[in-house]
Parts: sequence; structure tokens; C-alpha cells
Amino acid sequence: MIKVKDLTFSYQKNKEILHGLTFSVSDGEIFGFLGPNGSGKSTTQKILTGILSGHEGEVEIFNQSATVNLKEFKEKIGVLFEFPYLYSNLSALDNLKYFASFYPVKNRRDIYELLEMLDFKKDYLKKPVASYSKGMRQRVSMARALLNNPQLLFLDEPTSGLDPSGAVLFRKIIEEEKKKGTTVFLTTHNMVDADLLCDRVAFIADGEIKALDTPKRLKEKNSNHQVEIDYLYLGKHTTATLEMTEFNGGIPFPYEEIISIHSKEPTLEDMFIHYTGRGLT
Amino acid sequence: MRRSFPSILIKDFKLMLSSRFLFLALGSLILYSCYINFIYIKLDQDIYPVYLYDPMKTQIGVSSEVIRVDTLEDLQAQCADGHSVGIDVSSNEPEVIMVTSGITSTDYFRAAYALSLLSPESSYTAELIGQNDKEMKNRREITSEFLFFELAAVGFLGLASILFKEKQMGVIRVHGILPVNKSAFIISKLCLFLLSDLVFTGLLTVINLGVSAGLNVLPAVLIQAGILSLIMALVGFFCAVQLPDFKQFSLLYLVLAIFITTPVFIVGQTSIDWNWINFHPMYHLFMGMKNAYFATSSAGGSYYLACGLAIVLLFLLVHWALTGEMAKEG
Repeated sequence: MIKVKDLTFSYQKNKEILHGLTFSVSDGEIFGFLGPNGSGKSTTQKILTGILSGHEGEVEIFNQSATVNLKEFKEKIGVLFEFPYLYSNLSALDNLKYFASFYPVKNRRDIYELLEMLDFKKDYLKKPVASYSKGMRQRVSMARALLNNPQLLFLDEPTSGLDPSGAVLFRKIIEEEKKKGTTVFLTTHNMVDADLLCDRVAFIADGEIKALDTPKRLKEKNSNHQVEIDYLYLGKHTTATLEMTEFNGGIPFPYEEIISIHSKEPTLEDMFIHYTGRGLT
Repeated sequence: MRRSFPSILIKDFKLMLSSRFLFLALGSLILYSCYINFIYIKLDQDIYPVYLYDPMKTQIGVSSEVIRVDTLEDLQAQCADGHSVGIDVSSNEPEVIMVTSGITSTDYFRAAYALSLLSPESSYTAELIGQNDKEMKNRREITSEFLFFELAAVGFLGLASILFKEKQMGVIRVHGILPVNKSAFIISKLCLFLLSDLVFTGLLTVINLGVSAGLNVLPAVLIQAGILSLIMALVGFFCAVQLPDFKQFSLLYLVLAIFITTPVFIVGQTSIDWNWINFHPMYHLFMGMKNAYFATSSAGGSYYLACGLAIVLLFLLVHWALTGEMAKEG
């Protein structure tokens, strides 16, 4: 779906933002693009969505250069921005009708169905967006991104501004899109989203990809293979840390009751810090 | 473009309504018309009072507008206001006395006017190629000035206020990822503001010149109004896209009003003659508008060519600026 080779970009002369990015995203894959502010992830997304031109290197989407036939390309993509950009004087319905008008009729999804799927409060359907909460605006924005039944979906911080149940719903919708064969390019700071949703993630920092793999393999590669056991012995609460090899033959110490056993696997955030030398914020 | 243009047009119209631009235009129309009909044309526009010192009573048949004085000192005292003109005929040859206005052409005019009142019956005859009474002349003059001000200043602000709203909402950036023609985004706004300005022009002209005289000059006035409306809307569009907020825009608006349109009004309204004003594009637009109201056309093909070129160049500039705005941080 997306092939990027040696992508470089500069806003000004001698000030390169991207230094030769190379990656690919397969059809139907959820690809996470993780990086701190200023790392180049927004620039990369703008190049991929055709907003920004003037890059060097190869960018191929839908098996053709991203700059060829931009109109047809834009009809096949959906983009959710980090902030819910909507006409605040118009209602959700009017906003979605307006944005839908740019797409061919055969590609348009039913606005009412989309809003229902996104758990949008029906009472607000005809009220101006200015009266909506951030979560409701985010739902309308997501509906806008899905309006044209996109083959490629760019999501920037999709669960930002949502309450926990809203975040769960959005993750479910993203997974359903994947099942339909939609490719998802997910830009986020949220490691939970990345861990739960992404087939593969790329860590980007200072305009370079520092690591690219599945979340599971990234964690496994750097796991210290330890297990932490909480147990009771002689009426006392104790914690012990064992190497996995020690654990193979069962628990090698006396105990009265095991309270919990946790593998001391690193989190995706630990891995990000490990590869980039800094946190995500 | 065909598919989405009506949607953009409707959306822009709703934005226009919510920004109360149409109410502002309607308010301006009522205010200007009331001022013209109830105040301006009723203003006493007698120009320079003329005083005469004629101790020998040699001047007979002078105009009734001339005020006679008994002494030379009295004549000088009356003329000290810097406005009045005195004529001393004590030495047979009329001698004009006045405080100079500082503008040679105005002084010549004051002197000639005063002397013409000494023998009003011997007025010259001219070939009349049109007829204007004083009231109609005043109506044409003030209507053209109000229209120029409305299109140059208020229209410019109107479009910018809508665009700033869209910028604040971030929706311009959303259009960057939609299969929309950027030209459609610009043309839609231009069409709405052009239509609104042309309706305003039609109403202002007919209300203040009367139906017959108004309709007579309306085609030429609409052409000038269209040119000015497009140019100002494009300049407003460009400034609104390039400037970060409305505060800076307001500052620019003041600079435009003070340094760009003021000299045009001064030269167009008074007899001050600045050669450099010929290089001021707004001056030609102002005179084009004024000439249209007086049904005289001094503008040739080069004027319309320059206007057309300016509109095309401004459109390209706006297109470029809009592309940049769409690519900003999402």
C-alpha cells in the first residue's frame, strides 16, 4: 500500500527534517508511527497525504507516485487530524454533508449510520458544533475521515479527547476498518493505542526511523526474561524476582500462597526510550 | 469542481450569514442613503462669500450674492477668515484681496469666481453636452465616494473576517486532504462577495440617484464596482491567509486606510494636485468609479487590461498562499 524509500525533506536549505526514511506498509495493516514532537512524523504524514510536496526519495502509494493524480488519490484516503477541525457554526449533519459532497456518490457512506456507529448523541445532530464537547467533535471528525469508505486511513491521535469508553469504541472501529481491508497509518503518542492496535510500529526521532517491528518482537528482543512473584510465606508478604530459566522447573522456593506472577517484560514506552534515548513528550 | 462547488457556495453563504456581513452591508446602505438624502444634499454649499469695496459706486449690475462694505479696512477684516474673497475697485481696476489657501489652483478659482460675480450677465456660453443640476451633481459625487469606501474598506474586512473564522476552526487545513479544487474554494467566496457588492451597488445607486438617472449609469458603475470588489476581496483573502490573527490584520487595515486610500480621497476631492498620484492604482479605480457615476469614461483599454492583469495576478498569489495554509501543521 505504502512504499517509502530514502525520503528526505527540508523546509529550508541546509535544514533537513527527514533523513532518508525507508519503510513500507502492507495492505490491510495497521502501522504505528511513533515519535516525540518535532521528530518528523507530521511532516511524513503530510507528504504521504499529498499536502506537502518538494521531497526527495520515492513515495509510492496505491502503486503509484504520491504526486500523480492527486484528486483520485485523495478520494481514496481518509484523514483524522489530532484536533477536530469542523465548521463550528454548522451542525454535525451539515458538516458531514458538506465534506461528503467532495467524494463520488458511489463511495459515500451513510452519515446517520456512521454517527450511530460512533455513538453520537442524536439530540445534537442538528445543533451547531460549537455546542459539542471535545469527545463529540472527535466523533464527528472520525465520521468525516470514514465518509468516503477510504482504502487508506491516516489517524493522528485518534483517541485524544475521548473518555475511556470512547477510546475503547474508537479502537474497536479501527479494528473493524482493518477487517474490511483498510490500511491504517496511525500517528500517536499513546502507547496503549499503539500496543493494542498496531501490527507493526516505527519509532521515529530526529527525522530517522530508529526501530521498526511488531510491538511484540520489539519487546521480546529487549526483554530481560525475568518473572516477579508476590507470595506469602510464614504469614509475611514477599516479592521475589527470578530469571525465566530458574522458573522452568516450578517455583524454586518455599511459599504458603502465590498472590501474583508477572513477567517483567518491557513496555512499548520502555522500548521507545531504549531506541531513541528519550520519551515521547 | 462541478460536484462540490454548490456545497462550497452554500457553506460560504452560511458563514457569511453567521458573520453578520449582510447586516453590516444593509446597515451601511441605510446609513449612507439617509445621510445623502437627509443631510448632504441639504447642506448649504455656497462657496466663497464675496465682499466688494466700491466707494465710487462704479460697479452696477453685480450679483446679489456680493456683499458691499464701506471701508477698505472693513473689506480686509472680512477677508481675514481665510475663506472669503474681497474685491477692491477703489482704483477702477478690480483688485482681489484674500488670504491664500496655500493651493495655487484653488486661489485662481476663488479669484475667478469672485470676479465673475461682478458681471454675472456676461457669463460665457459653452456647448452643453450633458445636464446636471447642483443636487444631482452632489448626489453622484457623494454616492460614488460612499460606494468606493464601502467596497474598498468594508468588503475587504468582510471577506477577511470569514476567512479568519475558517482559519481559527482549522477547516482550511482539512480542505488540503479533500479532493477539492483550491480554485473552487477561492472562487466561491469571490462570487458571493461580488454578488453582494453588486446588489449593494445597484441599490445604493438607484436609491440615491433615482430610478431613471440610476439605471442610466448603472451598467458602467457595476463594471467599476465589480473590478474594485474583486481586487479588494483578493487582497483581503491574501492578507487574511498570510497574517496570523485579526489583530495584525486590523493594523494592516489601518495602514491601508491611512496611507493608501487617504491620498486618493484628498486628490479626488480637493484641488490638490500630486503628480505621483498617477502611479497610485487606487486613484485610477476611484476616478473610474466617479467617472462612471458622471457617465463620462476616461478609462481606455489599458485601464481594463491593467485591472484584468491585477485580478489574475492576485488570484495566483491567493492560490499560492492558500496552498501554504493548507500545508500548515494539522
